[in-house]
Amino acid sequence: MTMQDRAAKRSLDPATQQMLRLAAERGYETTWERLEAQQPQCGYGELGVCCRHCTMGPCRIDPFGDSGPQKGVCGATADTIVARGLLRMIAAGAAAHSDHGRDIAHTLLLTAQGKGGGYEIKDEAKLHALAAEYGIATEGRTKEDIALDLARAAYAEFGNQEGPILFTRRAPAKRVALWQTLGIEPRGVDREIVESMHRTHIGVDNDPVNLILHGLRTSIADGWGGSMIATELSDVLFGTPRPVQSQANLGVLKDDQVNIILHGHEPTLSEMIVAAAQDAEMLALAQQQGAAGINVAGMCCTGNEILMRHGIPVAGNFLQQELALITGAVEAMIVDVQCVFPALPELAACFHTKIISTSPKAKFPGATHIEFHEERAYEIAKGIVREAVLNYANRKAALVNIPRDKTECMVGFSVEAIVAALGGTLDPLLGAVKSGAIRGIAGVVGCNNPKVRHDYGHITLVKELIKNDVLVVNTGCNAIACAKAGLLQPEAAELAGAGLQGVCRALGIPPVLHMGSCVDISRILVACAAIANALGVDISDLPVAGAAPEWMSEKAVSIGAYVVSSGIYTVLGVAPPVLGGPAVTQLLTAGAEGVVGAMFAVEPDPEKAAALILQHIQKKRAALGLG
Amino acid sequence: MKTVFVNPERCIGCKQCEMACAVEHSQSKSLQQAVLETPTPRKRIHVAPGLYLNSSFPNKCRHCDPAPCRAVCPTGAIWRDGGQGTIVFDGNKCIACAMCAMVCPFDVIVFHPAPALLRERAVALKCDHCPDRVAAGRLPACVEACKVGALEFGEINELVKSAGRRLAVAISVAVGEQPEAAPLPANVQAWRDLGKSISQTGRE
Repeated sequence: MTMQDRAAKRSLDPATQQMLRLAAERGYETTWERLEAQQPQCGYGELGVCCRHCTMGPCRIDPFGDSGPQKGVCGATADTIVARGLLRMIAAGAAAHSDHGRDIAHTLLLTAQGKGGGYEIKDEAKLHALAAEYGIATEGRTKEDIALDLARAAYAEFGNQEGPILFTRRAPAKRVALWQTLGIEPRGVDREIVESMHRTHIGVDNDPVNLILHGLRTSIADGWGGSMIATELSDVLFGTPRPVQSQANLGVLKDDQVNIILHGHEPTLSEMIVAAAQDAEMLALAQQQGAAGINVAGMCCTGNEILMRHGIPVAGNFLQQELALITGAVEAMIVDVQCVFPALPELAACFHTKIISTSPKAKFPGATHIEFHEERAYEIAKGIVREAVLNYANRKAALVNIPRDKTECMVGFSVEAIVAALGGTLDPLLGAVKSGAIRGIAGVVGCNNPKVRHDYGHITLVKELIKNDVLVVNTGCNAIACAKAGLLQPEAAELAGAGLQGVCRALGIPPVLHMGSCVDISRILVACAAIANALGVDISDLPVAGAAPEWMSEKAVSIGAYVVSSGIYTVLGVAPPVLGGPAVTQLLTAGAEGVVGAMFAVEPDPEKAAALILQHIQKKRAALGLG
Repeated sequence: MKTVFVNPERCIGCKQCEMACAVEHSQSKSLQQAVLETPTPRKRIHVAPGLYLNSSFPNKCRHCDPAPCRAVCPTGAIWRDGGQGTIVFDGNKCIACAMCAMVCPFDVIVFHPAPALLRERAVALKCDHCPDRVAAGRLPACVEACKVGALEFGEINELVKSAGRRLAVAISVAVGEQPEAAPLPANVQAWRDLGKSISQTGRE
């Protein structure tokens, strides 16, 4: 197979293909080579029937059922092992999102106490709205005083022992009552995660259904807890996103400027780097080093955070992190937590690029570690930017290959921004859904996965949905894929069906609305709750669906679980490791419908996935009498 | 004649046969110690990926008769063990010319340093049917490690007979008959199908 063919089979994105061909030519190793080296991957792991929870094991179950063992040493069956494994994945995903939320609450607390090294409360309206929700007095108080109470209240949600987590009350009353009836209303964010670890210890919870139900509870503590706290408090600190124009793809890197890529997840770091990169002292230093300026670009979800709040261009999504280094034009890739390849420092060593790790929670052998502390945020951020600027002189012109590809995008559709675009009320959207101009709404989210042709799953599914008058809202790596493919521009309305096209043209919005980072899937939940409440129904009654065509992370498992727990049918492009447990598989892909009013489907082909979603939306429309 | 028979449709790619093989051919025969040994113990069975994701094949010496490797070996390092009919390599006679590897129909001969050589160097390595284990009435290490029935050890004609039944079932399906039982459990079949779908989607 030629390099051309191979690159095209690996990715839909032209910039990615160009970098993959270059990598093949020069022998740079990427995740695709490592995936190939891992083939074949272990079927026990793939099917979820491998258990390493105690040293009587490791155990595995013969999935054929007629040759090898059918029970672990402790007696656990395939379904028990699969359910325990899935619960641990959910717990890890919920922990990642929620710890991010805790960090934002911590930053708000420090800022309120006057100890935040450069942060300020940017959205007072949101602060007041949240204070009202928490019953925090606002009359005659400073924003810092209110923020202090809010930060403490948010902090308390993590250690809450008896619940409820306040934001769960944003769900329709019917949904909350259902959670209570099922015993899956979360009591506290940390408690559910800890209990997940307890239940999956040897000899505790062995009932697959009971385990999965606790998985749903833990995931709700993420979606309507930790993630939502992350979103809401980020808005208070950094501003609630409003539509802003920017650009996406590796072509946003600049030949004649210091290129800094911010990769990871938490806006506490990226916000400060963005500010420090505009510091006059840093700009002067850059000039002195012969650079025309300092160009900051995002990657993955921290990229989404600064993209939607500041219009900082985004260099790419998850699978482009190594390719950005291969451009040879990156002075520093600054990383914090989540989805950062440990492979980066070794690849960076082929160039002048510095990988700068910043989180005490995430160190990378071979990287430069400059620990970030919120108390001295701006000062540290300047130090990091200085490292990058001083590295410009080391750039090797012969190794620079920046793809030209970059695409315009309109991003930043928070719920508040959507309501504003609709003229201050959801009514026009509800009207369009009722009339059928918009058939339904799909949230398309999630990662990239080198097993799936990069961006193909995302783009094909989204195009198919808008063509059929389904409004798409997205976050995370799907949002970046759509930005690159030009789907986040008002002009993309021409790809939409006549009904959706009309709505988009009337409002001047794209047919695909960028709602933020992966924790911002909480915004989609809030939007669904608002729509359900406006119609007086539960979320599970709405003509809405979720999809993660290229997912790979444990966070995505937690997301899938809370989206389904919230009553939203969800189509996955990659199967989670559950197929070895027939009863668990049946529960997730069928039985759950009768429990939480929604279920999962797995469909790798995005055109078929779109058909499943359209069919589901039609079913829900019919039940609402919308035809 | 006894051999290791492969049921490729049952291989799930876990590579436990590879690890058990390397351990069996280590000096200590214990995993924990084997990983620290010099020379590094090497596997003689090789699980290769299939055409699509979620498919694989464990490849090893088939102990051919006549054996092309034996026919071309210029130093007489390869012979057939009379008892088991196993093709055996003598590392000390091997000159690592790789003629055997070139003519091997299965590409299963690899070259690595081995223990107990008069001089440390890479020599031809391949499956030896675990003679110590078999002599003690035990299964070859790869077969013992395989919990899905992809590797079976036994009389070749017996194994071929049961495999032949499998083929007959497949053929009756092909000509439109309903088999008594599905050849694979539904969940395993679904996993295989998903692997194929992921491998093909968007890449035709």
